[in-house]
Amino acid sequence: MNTETATYAVSWVSEQSTGTRALQQEQQLNRFLAEVERRALRIAEIGVRDRDDALDLVQDSMIKLVRKYGDRPSAEWAPLFYRILQNGVRDWHRRQAVRNRVMVWFGRGTSGDDEYDVVAAAPDPIGRSPDEELQNSEAMVSLEAAVQALPARQREAFMLRTFEGLDVAGTAIAMGCSQGSVKTHYSRAIHSLRETLGEHGPQGSEDG
Amino acid sequence: MKKSDEQIAREAKALFDASVDELDAATLSTLNQGRQRALEAAQSPRGELLRWVPAAGFAAAVLVGVMVTLPGPGSIEVMPPGVADMELLLGEDSLEMFEELEFYSVLDVMDEGDDVG
Repeated sequence: MNTETATYAVSWVSEQSTGTRALQQEQQLNRFLAEVERRALRIAEIGVRDRDDALDLVQDSMIKLVRKYGDRPSAEWAPLFYRILQNGVRDWHRRQAVRNRVMVWFGRGTSGDDEYDVVAAAPDPIGRSPDEELQNSEAMVSLEAAVQALPARQREAFMLRTFEGLDVAGTAIAMGCSQGSVKTHYSRAIHSLRETLGEHGPQGSEDG
Repeated sequence: MKKSDEQIAREAKALFDASVDELDAATLSTLNQGRQRALEAAQSPRGELLRWVPAAGFAAAVLVGVMVTLPGPGSIEVMPPGVADMELLLGEDSLEMFEELEFYSVLDVMDEGDDVG
């Protein structure tokens, strides 16, 4: 009887411990996702040029991360999350290409670029003087267009390194390539942006 | 004066961060709801299986269609390109399944303690 009681107690404590761990992990995941979701949305939006599609991609990426990699160490979540998101963006482009081919075949082809108005899609102003806001908005529109014009791998490397702040190793995991490739893509991206935006680069009201 | 790579990156980041800060309330609410759904989804693995049902049904229909239309054994017939396109359009996870094979191999390399990290 004593043995049974002891076994039950150990089992109960074990279950409580597992439950606590699961709760802690869920809270950690919640914090991580809340931390990255807004930047991830903007990165996805620059990638696909559509906010609604970007929202869908971010939500799908969150679900996949939680389901498949929620039990991985939290330090791995960022590169894994962006790996999933970048796959989603690439998949979106493939689907768009096929969809456009099908639509052309049915005589209803459209060029997707014509439908996106970067000026209309620019974020709403908050808390800045009109001059600052206009300057930043114009600079961001130019930067966004320049980043969108980059080849896909350069765009990924630039956004993950610069916008998300992943290091070279994390970016390599997110992009599924070597660290050397990341450095090459990133360097070429910066070079292209300098050429596209001019020698002085992006110029918003916030310098630095 | 010509800016350094670091300066360009820093200023691009400042512009990007400003655009993130300016996301509207409706978008932030949608993001929040998506996050809650993701955390709830972690506790319902059954949903993951159900997502494959339409794709599996379509794949089965395509298979039956191909079997019916094939002229017979011994001949080689190429699937019309339209079928592949439609499968790509309608299949939710077909591409990811293949992409993740590469992904898992990258994770395995990480686990083996290479210099990444």
